[in-house]
Amino acid sequence: MFRIIKKSLSTGVVTGQYPAAKALSEPVSREAIEKAKPFRRSLTIREVDTGSCNACEMEMNALANPVYDVERFGVHIAASPRHTDALVVTGPVTVNMERALKDVYKQTPDPKLVIALGDCAINCGMFKGSYAVTGPVERHIPVDVRIAGCPPRPAEILAVLETLRGAPADRDK
Amino acid sequence: MNGGLEAVGQIRGAFARAIADVGSVHGVPMLRLRKQDVPAVAHYIHTDPHVRGSLSLLWAVDHRPREGRYELCYLFTLAARKEWLLLATDLHGDEREFPSITPHLHAAKWYEREIRDLFGLIPVGHPDMRRLVRHEHWPKGSHPLKKECAWDQVLERVQGEYAFRKIHGEGVFEIPVGPIHAGIIEPGHFRFSVAGEPILQLEVRHFWKHRGVEKLFEQQRLTEAVPLAERVSGDTSVGHSLAYCQAVETLLGMTVPPRARYLRSIFLELERLHNHIGDVGAICNDTAYALAHAHCGRMKEQLMQLNDRLTGSRFLRGVNTVGGMAMDLSGTQLSQVDAELQAIEQEFSGIEKILFANASLTERLESTGVLSEHIAWDHAVMGVVGRASGIDRDLRRDRPFAAYHECQPKVAVYRYGDVRARMRVRLDEVHESIRLIHTCCRQLPMGPVSTGPVEAPTPGQWAVSAVEGWRGEILYVVMAGAEGRIHRCKIRDPSFVHWPAIQWAALGNIVPDFPLINKSFNLSYAGNDL
Repeated sequence: MFRIIKKSLSTGVVTGQYPAAKALSEPVSREAIEKAKPFRRSLTIREVDTGSCNACEMEMNALANPVYDVERFGVHIAASPRHTDALVVTGPVTVNMERALKDVYKQTPDPKLVIALGDCAINCGMFKGSYAVTGPVERHIPVDVRIAGCPPRPAEILAVLETLRGAPADRDK
Repeated sequence: MNGGLEAVGQIRGAFARAIADVGSVHGVPMLRLRKQDVPAVAHYIHTDPHVRGSLSLLWAVDHRPREGRYELCYLFTLAARKEWLLLATDLHGDEREFPSITPHLHAAKWYEREIRDLFGLIPVGHPDMRRLVRHEHWPKGSHPLKKECAWDQVLERVQGEYAFRKIHGEGVFEIPVGPIHAGIIEPGHFRFSVAGEPILQLEVRHFWKHRGVEKLFEQQRLTEAVPLAERVSGDTSVGHSLAYCQAVETLLGMTVPPRARYLRSIFLELERLHNHIGDVGAICNDTAYALAHAHCGRMKEQLMQLNDRLTGSRFLRGVNTVGGMAMDLSGTQLSQVDAELQAIEQEFSGIEKILFANASLTERLESTGVLSEHIAWDHAVMGVVGRASGIDRDLRRDRPFAAYHECQPKVAVYRYGDVRARMRVRLDEVHESIRLIHTCCRQLPMGPVSTGPVEAPTPGQWAVSAVEGWRGEILYVVMAGAEGRIHRCKIRDPSFVHWPAIQWAALGNIVPDFPLINKSFNLSYAGNDL
């Protein structure tokens, strides 16, 4: 017990210790911000991987670590599409995942947002044209927000989520 | 002296009439056989007490455009001195059938099904002829790695249903999980057959993320496919790109300068570090020990930020290139790395003490998800999972690459094969990685970090390369095509071998322990599905 307390004291607070995000290549649209209004202080996310290389997953997981601690902004990861406000989709849509993606979209209650995370989700990236890839996410379900990068850094994902919250100024309150 | 050649002599003695030709591919002895003799020879290699070979890779090549044949190659790693031995056989003209070796070697099971799906060649006598990579909605006769199949013709969709293996009996029911999972994980399907809590059978149904990576490689030039290799499995960017680069360098006769070799080791170990520390945290998280998870998560993040500062990529992308490195590290950067890692090691040792003082954690890890040495050997398991089950294999020591000849890596081996053993291997490897980076930083020679191509490859020439990534052995077979292009690139991530093995490790455990077992394996779906 003593060891644990000592460790926590010596570590201190690490939250927020990350380099600032670079400017987004594509700003979040006004419509998307408007659409996100009902979720403001509590945005629940479901992550759907439709064929990524798993780097985007690692960065999404990093959002939950104590350094980024996305939950402090009211962002939660849901285990079911039924509990979801926003779908975060990564990877090009493979032939084998196409149906699962459409199903998950249907199962998510309205109103809902779709965030395409990473270059592959936006334009298939390196996997463009392959016989096993049916196209970017947009081809199958409507996309509201795009976060470019291969993969985008957690700070960049966080910046977009904050914009959606409509409260970029009060992040540390 | 040479175990591989000794074994060749022994096999020639035993199968004098079966062997058509003895050759070698970049130093690896190769026996060419008639196809009907392959099962007997493979069985002999696998079981003979002096040879004891385990199947490391099995792949097919379509040579039809030029030579009118398919070629099948079997790569064995021999137990004694970890030498490689190759078997090869041809299917001429209209032949589409080859004898399956799966009845003798478990390890061949998925490879042969994969070859059937991607090339349309039929492994006669295979006990499980269901589709593996091709999901049931792919049209009949679609075998994308055949040369006449277009790389960019998106598959049509037909009706079809995969037949899961059924277990019948009173009180037996099935739990389907996936392909989309509850957490932030890649897609895959698990079908548990349970009676009450204990798992009677687990069937893994994967390949949801099949993106046609091997076919995409065939559209690339030899020297330009490194970015694609980095995206085979994102968390193993260095491992995959290094394995690819090494294969191409062998083909082009390039000698990588010493400084680049050392830098490669440093980056490979950095990748191992952040993944292992993250995994230790994730294992703790699955036992609801949030404190350790938080500490490991923060250290992993610290390492990834270090990667970003060093290379501009948190995943160390764009570091390797054919012929050496695309970047160099300055003296200041090296001392920064060294200092930061020393601090992390000290912190990590503190966490380790906290972990093992927690009886409720260790109790949950012990005897959970046991993969016995016997089953591990039968499935040719290696890497972290193998070393936790007593399989003493590590390419960094056995077939040294990069700078590992000069820093003697110590190999962590445990025998119990449970979740705790797999965590212990990772803990030990974290310390060893930091030591290796320290050694490499100190011994780093001066000089250039890359070299140009020496010779143009002749079409049809090929090379195998192996890298001990953080999960285990990553194998690449690269065959040159016309005009500097790639004719065939076979990729084997360790996950492809370990997924079938996890089906055995889960047996008899309760369903709520499966996430923990799965985490202790931590396999790549992307690297498996390709």
